[in-house]
Amino acid sequence: MNLQVHLGNLTLSNPVILASGTAGYGREIAPYLDLDRIGALTLKGISSTPWVGNPPPRIHETYAGIMNSIGLENKGFDRFLREDLPFLENFQTRIIANIWGKTIEEYSDIAKKMNGLERIDAIEVNVSCPNIEQGGESFSCNSQILCQLIQNLRQKIQKPLIFKLGPNTDDLDNVLLFMEKEGVDILSITNTYPALAVDVENQSFIFSRKTAGLSGPAIKPLALKLVYDVIQKTRLPIIGMGGIMKAEDALEYLLIGAQAVALGSVNLVDPSAAVQIIDGIEAYLIQKNIFGINDLIGKVREVWR
Amino acid sequence: MKKAKIVKKKFLGTSFVELWLEENDIARLACPGQFVMISAGSTYDPFLKRPLGILSCQENYFGLLFDIVGRGTKILSQLEIGDQVDLLGPLGNGFSLNPKEALLIGGGRGLVPLYFLAQIFTSKKIPFQFFFGIRNQEEKVLIDYLSELSIPMVLSCQEQLSNYYCGTVLDAFEDWLHHHSQSKPAQKIYACGPQGMFQALSKMEDIIPNQIEVSLESRMGCGYGVCLSCAVKKKGLPGYFHVCKDGPVFRLGEIEL
Repeated sequence: MNLQVHLGNLTLSNPVILASGTAGYGREIAPYLDLDRIGALTLKGISSTPWVGNPPPRIHETYAGIMNSIGLENKGFDRFLREDLPFLENFQTRIIANIWGKTIEEYSDIAKKMNGLERIDAIEVNVSCPNIEQGGESFSCNSQILCQLIQNLRQKIQKPLIFKLGPNTDDLDNVLLFMEKEGVDILSITNTYPALAVDVENQSFIFSRKTAGLSGPAIKPLALKLVYDVIQKTRLPIIGMGGIMKAEDALEYLLIGAQAVALGSVNLVDPSAAVQIIDGIEAYLIQKNIFGINDLIGKVREVWR
Repeated sequence: MKKAKIVKKKFLGTSFVELWLEENDIARLACPGQFVMISAGSTYDPFLKRPLGILSCQENYFGLLFDIVGRGTKILSQLEIGDQVDLLGPLGNGFSLNPKEALLIGGGRGLVPLYFLAQIFTSKKIPFQFFFGIRNQEEKVLIDYLSELSIPMVLSCQEQLSNYYCGTVLDAFEDWLHHHSQSKPAQKIYACGPQGMFQALSKMEDIIPNQIEVSLESRMGCGYGVCLSCAVKKKGLPGYFHVCKDGPVFRLGEIEL
């Protein structure tokens, strides 16, 4: 069965990707999952210099979901090079570096560093983390700044360039047009949904930054709708994500036209889930007599056009 | 992911539950201080697995002991013999196992890793003294575990109970220290209990925090080091440790509580 998908000039052996921040830098999840089975691994978000992240509590369980406020804690580029990159050399699977910075210069700096690494197959730019003061979502709630960032990075990056957008992108229609014009390759839709929880016992907010990002099955229908909407607005290939737990969820995203899917929260509760989801997609194609994955992508959209 | 079958279940009082599960790898590999992430139910709600410390291992079986504190532990308490659960483990770094002599200090459900440790020390013939504190009569059910080990112990309760030191376990420990100050230096301290106990312990005179190993409890997302939820501040350094991967056992002197 041919599960290969092409997202612009990035080809994956199958459409299942591990989302950033839910699989570490590969080493952490490798005991539970053969990394060469997945379409791609997206690394935990990295900045040029280490970042300590937010004070605890950082996680709160909701109905069928989780809220997190990790705040992009990461070890920085130099430690990644020393501690993690050599391990990744042992695998054939596609590696997507997820990057972020607090300023355009910081984004640009880490993007250039990643662009220089042969083992990195694509660069995903996080402009949608809701859990940090500067950087992350602050870049997608101002379309002018976002467009400056897009232009700046595209000039410097030869590898496939992915922008990861959240549910609250400012002036989305024009940003999408600008991305197409500037030559952004792929979109990742979506990030966690900004959300709130209150500690009733202590009459306070659960999180020190008050809001946090909601993920898991709780957001799946919302994220699916967002992916559906964005697909109608752009010809850029899309990695759909949000609440995928099993093959059926992934198929929903593929059927509405996402060229690939990413698994996030499910990796926390079942680090081997990706393999079952890939096998489940394949079994579905066989059962439905569909020859290859590309005959499935967007099928619901075509039928109901 | 591993699957384990419940082979034994026991309620202790109204809020504590002991479960024994059959899983060869965990039973064979687990060390005192390590934990498992266990599914609470088979739906997506509650979503996350629960971190539970390992109580003991025997042949192909391992034991868990927990108190019902929320939705997840409530569901776990409703598991029956024969039920199967998904889990990951053994996870994290356990206690060091080769002291010359040891003092174990536990409070409430902090008993769990220390009971396992006491079993290992007993089998390795490492001399130790166990200090254990409970808050109230309800928690007296935990004492049975220690009685069966027949080890030297000092028991405390914050309520008046006969044969118990009245106060916290650290009150009892301090009192003991005054009478046994000559034997201190050789003894390594292992502790597990509520956060307040660790804070008080780190402020005690004559205690060197770096000689104390503590096993921390934390809310966790994954248990294997990818989500970075279980952050605990490093002492005197910027940044955080992660309880699941860097711990759950830490030296008391390296963490900020």
